Amino acid sequence: MLSRNGLDYESLVKEDRVHISVYTNPAIFTDEMDKIFHRGWVYVGHRGEIPNPGDFRLKRIGRQPVIMVRDQQGEVHLLLNRCRHRGATVCQREQGNTRSFRCMYHGWTYLLNGDLGGVPSMDGYGEGFKREDLGLVKVPRVGEHRGFIFASLSPAGIALDAHLGRAKEEIDLFAGMSNADEVEVVSGVHKYSYQGNWKLAAENSMDGYHPSIVHASFAQALMDKITHVPTPEQQRVDRNFAAFRGNAKDLGNGHVMLDYRMRIYDPLNGDPAPEVRAVTPEGEARLNNLDRRFGADRAANMLREGGTHTFIFPNLILIGVQMRVLQPLSVDRTEVCLYPTLLKWLAPEVNAIRLRSHEAFFGSASFGGPDDSEIFERVQDGCAVELEPWQLMSRGLHRERHEDGMIVGDLSDETTQRGIWRQWKKIMMQGEVAARSMRKRGAGAVAIKRG
Amino acid sequence: MPVDRERVEQFLFREAQLMDEHRFDEWLALWSEPALYWVPSNRDDLDPAREVSLIYDDWVRLQLRIARLKSGFAHAQEPRSRMRRLISNIEIEDVGDWEIVTHSNFLLAELRRGKQDLFAGRTTHRLRPENGSFKLISKKVLLVNNDEPIDNLTFLI
Ligand code: FES
Ligand SMILES: [Fe+2]
Repeated sequence: MLSRNGLDYESLVKEDRVHISVYTNPAIFTDEMDKIFHRGWVYVGHRGEIPNPGDFRLKRIGRQPVIMVRDQQGEVHLLLNRCRHRGATVCQREQGNTRSFRCMYHGWTYLLNGDLGGVPSMDGYGEGFKREDLGLVKVPRVGEHRGFIFASLSPAGIALDAHLGRAKEEIDLFAGMSNADEVEVVSGVHKYSYQGNWKLAAENSMDGYHPSIVHASFAQALMDKITHVPTPEQQRVDRNFAAFRGNAKDLGNGHVMLDYRMRIYDPLNGDPAPEVRAVTPEGEARLNNLDRRFGADRAANMLREGGTHTFIFPNLILIGVQMRVLQPLSVDRTEVCLYPTLLKWLAPEVNAIRLRSHEAFFGSASFGGPDDSEIFERVQDGCAVELEPWQLMSRGLHRERHEDGMIVGDLSDETTQRGIWRQWKKIMMQGEVAARSMRKRGAGAVAIKRG
Repeated sequence: MPVDRERVEQFLFREAQLMDEHRFDEWLALWSEPALYWVPSNRDDLDPAREVSLIYDDWVRLQLRIARLKSGFAHAQEPRSRMRRLISNIEIEDVGDWEIVTHSNFLLAELRRGKQDLFAGRTTHRLRPENGSFKLISKKVLLVNNDEPIDNLTFLI
């Protein structure tokens, strides 16, 4: 069935393959922005990024600039960053602390909850001027799980709880079972972009087939470390990526994960791994809980190096200690932000080692991430070959099984990629009417400005 | 010890050339324990125990970084960056007999995959005099763009 703009999603996405135009066609990108990013639930940010009253961060929902701000009462608001007068952005800094947002065109001033406060020279407006109707536009639906803030620009649709489904449990493990305010997201951001479609990073983040090839140099570094630091602790680090065992899981709704039980991330430095200990009674309880569920070794690794490996459709990835957010800029340009997290109840030296483990593999100068980005650009370049326009996603189809209502494959199977594409196709094939009305309101040019 | 400015310049220029030309072993040989190769992320002054860096290599990680770059499997350097950098505005702080601290600016043109980028910043070197030259003890690089997206920083900076 053709969608209204002539895109035949049914024939572009098959169970075992996708057509390269899903990575290259600007019309599909525009459609994705409308249907996936401007209507569905997307991840915006975490409460821990704005711990104090007045703290704000600039974010983006699809193309649309949003201010995430905490008011004096501690409530978090998502406000569209556009003055209600003649449309200038009211917040320019990526992050900071403020008492209000003042538009520097004519001086309209907005409170932290978005309400319009001051308007210079009010006498120029007649009786019909309703200040209360002219606050910054609020994102229609905002939901939260353990401090993770999700939003939808559509006033109606599936509830966040139902959308997240099984992924909630992985968010919980990522947070070390901490409550929202125990997760600290003030350790800076690693930012990079690549010349390629945003879905390449989504697919790759949950690809258990590539590490032994793409990350051969990191595996080698793990192996080499022992010549510098020949400790028993280091002996236990898993080194052979190809021998890794585990499962690729489709959690439903496009959320997918790699479920494995081995150590991968390592600070690659000379210091011995610090003992994992809590510094608060609540932390003690959380640590005991994880110890009981996973055993002391695994629990310690989860807290030092990360507790899950999950993609939450369409733009959040939880790997290691980081929240990774995908920001599509255009059909062939994507920006990625990595937010390493600390846990308030962990001892300082454990939090420090979380950062070192993160830096070793992730970020623009690390031993891992840049090699993935290079591959994304190679794949995007490869999309120029139209004579054979398919990418295969068939690995493990013959051995997939259903467990506990989930589709489960081997760690290296493309069960995860298929899970993402199934959801993508479902969304892209539905909701024509709402998408059209969004376009009428002017969804703008194909590319958005970075930053 | 009176600081010989020319020797310091020679050292910094030589280091720059080794980085530009991917002469990894020779660059590594400039270093001595305990090493710290530090490129902060997002801002210049941060607490590494609480905030993330782009590079925070101790002696071990520095060795591993070089081994990786030489391995042939560092895909982000395949093809390799072509680079030339200028070192300028050198200031020397004479700390004592056993250590010299220098500050210098750099401007680096880096070309890879048909795209040329400019990197600029200020570097603090801690140098230990040794056999008429110096050993590098630590190096902290304050990138002008450390709060912007950096697509690839897998070469030596
Ligand atoms: S555009 Fe904001 S006050 Fe005029
Ligand atoms: Fe990877």
